[in-house]
Amino acid sequence: MQVERGELVSFLGPSGCGKTTTLRVVAGFEKPTTGQVRINEEDITNNPPNQRNVGMVFQAYALFPNMTVAENIGFGMKVAKKQANEMSARVDEMLDLIHMPGFGDRYPYQLSGGQQQRVALARALALSPEVLLLDEPLSALDAKIRVSLRQEIRSIQRELGITAIYVTHDQEEALSLSDRVVVMNLGKIEQVGTPFQIYNFPETEFVAQFVGVLNAVQAEVVDPGSNRLKLDGQQVQTAQDLSKWRAGEKVVVAIRPERFSFVSEQVKANLLECRIENITFLGSIVRVQVRINDYTMYMDTFNNPYLELPKIGDMVKITCSREAVLILK
Amino acid sequence: MKQSRIWSWIILIIGIFYFFLPLFSVFEFSMRMVKDKYTFQAYIVAFSDKAFYENFGFSMLWAILTIIVSLALIVPTAYWVHLRLRRIKPLIELITLMPFVVPAVVLSFGLIRLYGKPPLVLTSSPLLLIVGYVTLSMPYMYRAVDTGLRAIDVGTLTEAAQSLGAGWATILFRVIFPNLRVAILSGVFLTFAIVMGEFTFASLLVWPAFGPYMEEIGAMRAYTPQALSVVSFALTWISIGLLQRIGRGAPGQGQIAGTR
Amino acid sequence: MSRTSGLEPRLSEGDAPPARPQSKSFDWAWIGVTPFLIYAIMFLFLPSASIFVRSFQGPDGGFTLQNFATLFSRTDIINAYKTSIGISVLTSVGGAVFGFLLAYAVVLGGLPRFLRPALLTFSGVASNFAGVPLAFAFIATMGNAGLVTRLIESWTGIDIHASGFTIYNMWGLSIVYMYFQFPLMVLIMAPALDGLRSEWREACENLGGTYSQFWRYIAFPILMPSILGTTILLFGNAFGAYATAYAFSGSFINLVTILIGAVIQGDVLYDPGLGNALALGMIFIMLLCMLGYAWSQRRAARWAK
Repeated sequence: MQVERGELVSFLGPSGCGKTTTLRVVAGFEKPTTGQVRINEEDITNNPPNQRNVGMVFQAYALFPNMTVAENIGFGMKVAKKQANEMSARVDEMLDLIHMPGFGDRYPYQLSGGQQQRVALARALALSPEVLLLDEPLSALDAKIRVSLRQEIRSIQRELGITAIYVTHDQEEALSLSDRVVVMNLGKIEQVGTPFQIYNFPETEFVAQFVGVLNAVQAEVVDPGSNRLKLDGQQVQTAQDLSKWRAGEKVVVAIRPERFSFVSEQVKANLLECRIENITFLGSIVRVQVRINDYTMYMDTFNNPYLELPKIGDMVKITCSREAVLILK
Repeated sequence: MKQSRIWSWIILIIGIFYFFLPLFSVFEFSMRMVKDKYTFQAYIVAFSDKAFYENFGFSMLWAILTIIVSLALIVPTAYWVHLRLRRIKPLIELITLMPFVVPAVVLSFGLIRLYGKPPLVLTSSPLLLIVGYVTLSMPYMYRAVDTGLRAIDVGTLTEAAQSLGAGWATILFRVIFPNLRVAILSGVFLTFAIVMGEFTFASLLVWPAFGPYMEEIGAMRAYTPQALSVVSFALTWISIGLLQRIGRGAPGQGQIAGTR
Repeated sequence: MSRTSGLEPRLSEGDAPPARPQSKSFDWAWIGVTPFLIYAIMFLFLPSASIFVRSFQGPDGGFTLQNFATLFSRTDIINAYKTSIGISVLTSVGGAVFGFLLAYAVVLGGLPRFLRPALLTFSGVASNFAGVPLAFAFIATMGNAGLVTRLIESWTGIDIHASGFTIYNMWGLSIVYMYFQFPLMVLIMAPALDGLRSEWREACENLGGTYSQFWRYIAFPILMPSILGTTILLFGNAFGAYATAYAFSGSFINLVTILIGAVIQGDVLYDPGLGNALALGMIFIMLLCMLGYAWSQRRAARWAK
């Protein structure tokens, strides 16, 4: 695949899917069995890792514990034998960039996790690399820090206009940060697209399941011509093209929970009768677990303190539009 | 990286060579008692010496006594310090490191001076010898037990046992000690290896033991001393081997011990 | 619960033997530790203290610094210290270097994985194979009738011992000491080398550094406290050795430990006061070693985050 200049692309997938390995191939720490890595049309596949002009931020920060913050950030320049005043000017510049001026004389063990990771970022950027590689940089941090730091990373990346590849298993991170997301599984690419695309129009069952909560149930094609399916005895219409299938064939149908609503609010093209199994209050969202004969599905509705919800055990009707019904490969 | 691998092999081979040459030499030497032939004669002579069994037996006796005293002193101490008296833990650890600062020769010196004259004459009993041995093995015994205590999170286990209604005796003997078995055993084996090979205390405090016996034989005879060395080495091998077996995961540092 | 730290379990409730008020349970722990403390006082502190005190005592019992003056003026004593220090420096530095290289070879040097536990086991055994049997083994190797001597004679016809070459000096003894010195280094260095995280090396490469720059700027500085500390430990180890030297060369080689041993065995040349001074001198040097080692451990721990 190709990453455009200035883009932040996330590699998203479960543990073991190969996203970190791919990143390490770009960095030069792993050798690919086939294929090439090209930066600006130049083939760097066989370059050793210290001759690639990519900057890497590691999951475990990897700051050199025997050096101060300033020495860490300046290490790349020291190796490149830059002048001392050039080095210190650049170090100060980087410290300002990560909003940590005056921290130059501290040692890594005196810093918090979030601070260490910012220094690691500055260290990677100090040499103005062509590409910034980030290997799950936020996994080792507290939840609160994670959110603020990822915003900071994104804004720095935008400010510098630097091309970045970001590896993560956290889909919220991937969706909120990226220009595009590459969803991976078992060493293969499942889908490449913008966050909007992969969430709303997943192309495979894996992507649909991995990104966000999803209801995936089996349905039977009734009439491909009029886009009608039978879901557990009840009729469902989809906006997707069913011409590939014939009547009687089984397909997997996916509906996002937030696309459902109670009929009391609005009646859309599809109507499903079900029984309430459980209602979970999640804060801004209320997750309703419903049962349609054999299948359990989830419906997310916005929290409204003045709206009376049905009780567990009640039979209700829920509705969704034609477009909400996705057919998975 | 290929180049460094060659150097690694070179260093390793030098190391192996240095390790094995003395072992091989002493074994070879021990086989040469009978002229122009390799026989086990030296071993036969060694094993038919009554004094061998006497001294070996004494050393085993001292070893067992040392182990008992050592365990009795150190295990409860380590437990209480770890659980309740954290503040003095540094002090206790410092004490267990003192045997490094006061080597065997010096300690014998001090012990004899202090306890060789009235009012407190201890030199007529092997008590001082046991004291010497316990002191010698103290750092390792303590370290083994401490490591074990840390590994099993004594505080939480104790609280869990208490919340289920256990009294102190039950906690100590049914919960803590069984879990410390491995740590204690590694300390025991190490102490055993130390005492069996020890020379300094036994020689200076003048008690029969395997170490001084070997030295005497070395001064008087040829070939049998080398046979005894081989036996001693085999014994060390077995002790350390057993220690490694049962002490899987015990840090390597805990294995440096013994008389020098 | 005013005097206990927050880590103690609550003892007064629950079913500890007859519910005791908190202060009583606190006493229990002290009782548990008392035998150990009594032992330490009787058999560690008091002997050391008596050495300290008596080294300042003259034959009449009065305070004197004469013992220390003698220490610094008698040639045989000065030589003993010189030799002891010489061997200790030689084997600690030599053991440190060779032990480090060996540990490196096995941990980072690209050798087959199974060699590491094998080497560590051997090191554990070798470091315990000191004293009398080790001395005999080296005599059987390098001595007059030793294997190496015989091999050299049968290959080259030269009897190396006939020309006055002897192993019973500082150099020969050093070779013997090395046998338990560098395994100690290996045992301590192998885990320390493990502690060198691979990310540091990768980060260094990523920033343009070579492998030797990694060692020069990052790995060695990080390892230096451990290396130094272990070298100091090796120094103390050699300095305090007695059994190996005694079995190897008797009183032939002049060492501080041998001298002290001679005093204990009633050698007339050394009066008790002097013996105490010798012992104190030894304790002093060992104390310096321990302090040096402790300091280096603390430095090492700071960076091992």
